[in-house]
Amino acid sequence: MYRYDEFDHAFVNGRVEQFRDQVTRRLSGELAEDAFKPLRLMNGVYLQLHAYMLRVAIPYGTLNAKQMRMLAHIARKYDRGYGHFTTRQNIQYNWPKLSDTPDILAELATVEMHALQTSGNCIRNVTADHFAGAAADEVADPRPYAEILRQWSSVHPEFSFLPRKFKIAVTGAERDRAAIQVHDIGLHLKKNENGEIGFAVYVGGGQGRTPLIAKKIRDFLPEEDLLSYTTAVMRVYNLHGRRDNKYKARIKILVHETGVEELTRQVEEEFAHLQGTELKLPEADVAAIANYFAPPALPDRAEGWAQLAGWKKQDEDFARWVQQNVQPHKHPDYGMVTISLKPIGGIPGDASDVQMDLIADLAEEFAHDEIRISHEQNVIFPHVALADLEPLYRALVAQNLATANAGLITDIIACPGLDYCALANARSIPVAQEISTRFGAPERQADIGELKIKISGCINACGHHHVGHIGLLGVEKKGAELYQITLGGSGDENTSIGEIIGRGFEPSKVTDAIETIVDTYLALRLSKDEIFLDAYRRVGPQPFKDALYGDAKAEAA
Amino acid sequence: MTDKVLTANRLSDGVAVWLDANGQWVEDLQDSLVARHAEAVASLEAIGKRDFADNKVVDVAVVDVEEQNGKLWPTRLRERIRAQGPTMEYAAGYRPADPAFIAV
Amino acid sequence: MTRIWRETGFVENDAWVIETEEVKATEEQKPLLPLAELIEKAEASNDVGLGVLIKPGDDVRKLEPYLYRLEIVAVEFPAFNDGRAFSHASLLRDRLAFKNEVRAVGDVLIDQIPLMLRCGIDSFAVKNATALKRLEEGRLPGIAEHYQPTARDAEKSGGYSWRRRTAVA
Repeated sequence: MYRYDEFDHAFVNGRVEQFRDQVTRRLSGELAEDAFKPLRLMNGVYLQLHAYMLRVAIPYGTLNAKQMRMLAHIARKYDRGYGHFTTRQNIQYNWPKLSDTPDILAELATVEMHALQTSGNCIRNVTADHFAGAAADEVADPRPYAEILRQWSSVHPEFSFLPRKFKIAVTGAERDRAAIQVHDIGLHLKKNENGEIGFAVYVGGGQGRTPLIAKKIRDFLPEEDLLSYTTAVMRVYNLHGRRDNKYKARIKILVHETGVEELTRQVEEEFAHLQGTELKLPEADVAAIANYFAPPALPDRAEGWAQLAGWKKQDEDFARWVQQNVQPHKHPDYGMVTISLKPIGGIPGDASDVQMDLIADLAEEFAHDEIRISHEQNVIFPHVALADLEPLYRALVAQNLATANAGLITDIIACPGLDYCALANARSIPVAQEISTRFGAPERQADIGELKIKISGCINACGHHHVGHIGLLGVEKKGAELYQITLGGSGDENTSIGEIIGRGFEPSKVTDAIETIVDTYLALRLSKDEIFLDAYRRVGPQPFKDALYGDAKAEAA
Repeated sequence: MTDKVLTANRLSDGVAVWLDANGQWVEDLQDSLVARHAEAVASLEAIGKRDFADNKVVDVAVVDVEEQNGKLWPTRLRERIRAQGPTMEYAAGYRPADPAFIAV
Repeated sequence: MTRIWRETGFVENDAWVIETEEVKATEEQKPLLPLAELIEKAEASNDVGLGVLIKPGDDVRKLEPYLYRLEIVAVEFPAFNDGRAFSHASLLRDRLAFKNEVRAVGDVLIDQIPLMLRCGIDSFAVKNATALKRLEEGRLPGIAEHYQPTARDAEKSGGYSWRRRTAVA
């Protein structure tokens, strides 16, 4: 993974001192709140219901054991002993004092971490496929480009006061595990017929109030033009994105209102001036950055095959965990492991300091010191020898980190919701907990198969509910919480926005509604191999509407 | 007019606070000063503006409360959660909100 | 009170004025004309030494035919978080190769001045008390290391093509 050089250290230390000065001026009153707010947001400091919230960047979701231990330390020393991993591969702390934030950032800087631009109207964390560098189906590792974009976008003076936030995602495989089509810029790393590396460029995707799927504006952008082209898009957005209405200020609205042909023309016109200028990416620079992401030396561990078979025979729970949470790796003796942060009935995406420390230790022992955070709020060990799966599993079980539910119905994505967030209208976490408990039985989950539930506590869609196979949107109605259900959303390479299927449900009725949907699916699926999403796409919403709102139910309502 | 209290978040640590009868910002809603008529509310708003300008608090708001069984009960769910904290077990050593208080 | 600051220090006797209903340029002063008026005047006369005020929604590229007649381009930040003028300034320097004065006017605060400098802005109309104080003390809150080339050239640094460095004032 990327390692800071002298330049990076100097920058991040300069940034910490700059922020410390800003906080000091704020606390003394020399700097007023309205001028301070965008500055603190650009350092990841939000104000929420109960306290400030600090969002620490985990660039493209990659970190090592030393960094994970620091995250545990921050949770312990400055917070309430836990952190929350987010749908953009970052971590959030919910109880820091403003006066402590400069010290927190200083400590993070010692392990090459920061909270730069995790909020504010600027370019945010560039996210990438959480299996990057390990997935068997990868064409090229997206992370070097995510790192180059991360650097280039850091304190970019022209793009620090955009109309609104800006999110970029990069994927390197045909299967899109980074949801690039619901990002402001989505980059699909690929090779052309000559084997040259480049990007398909998508612009204008996003969720929130107005979910929109990104439009492809370039089929193949050569690697060397990455920064020039991105600059062109950003400049067009900065100049023409709406600033009159916060809810119409994302680039997706600009694409929609300008029209994709005209917007593409504007971008290409600007790009023509920028192509080949000092923004051109020299091959040597790309190679140097890519070097940091060279896969670890993975020795053959062929003994793992037989060992694994033996362990699976002896322990059904372990077998289930392997089946569900371990994916094929480029190297046949290895697997990619999902460490579930969704214990049955637990808070999705939360980890205690003790759990974080354990994850760090296990990463060093079994995972070549490489950890990832997925946008589905789980921890990934991308390189684990099959021969090490059983001891890893045992250690995870001890800290409730071995739930065998990756991609299953209890692997729920939920935003913090009204329990924490000042923007929320309804709670997400208790809803997730109840659904998880109801469907917790491992056999039942396995039978239901892949089913991604995503829950947002307000229209801002931080829970990504629009791309949930089942999406839940919490709203406020007459002072009480109500949950709208959408079906058939997906954030993969066949991105679709979920369809609202009818009236919302009160909190006490939501889990029953989910059960009705699941039972309907089980009754109409062609076979166990037809997952919920595929069945929905085959039959459409009607069977589910009938089951939920059919005559009898309508009368009772 | 519904009864009102003045709430905000403390600048230095972001903790949710309410204004009490002594003009102090306290961490317990139950200790807050209740305004029962328009002049009292106007006075609360003025204090809120002043203490925001004085860099003591941020996000100042006047919120509705009812008195129920001798307890102050915010009429908005959001404010009830602010008063009591997250509504589930979330961290060792910290109690979740009282479900009876939170309930609609 | 508004003062004009450049990296060489505060400027006295600045002649440029943004005209409003109440305020008009005196004999010794010169107006910063709105874009449409500037174009009209330039088309209708041979005047040089003109000044223009670019508002956020203006297309700064329209100045191209008149650049050699402009002494100053003021770029407006009506609110400090309206970032369009960063692009205007960048285009003026990079695209149009404008060499004369580019001035930030409007909501000019100390924390944005380092960013404005990097976008090629070289003078600042400053009202904010904290900003004035910090400028008097020569204490700008910038970071020396930069991760991107910008309109204002800076020394290549840090090994990669996109990195730059300026000494902090």
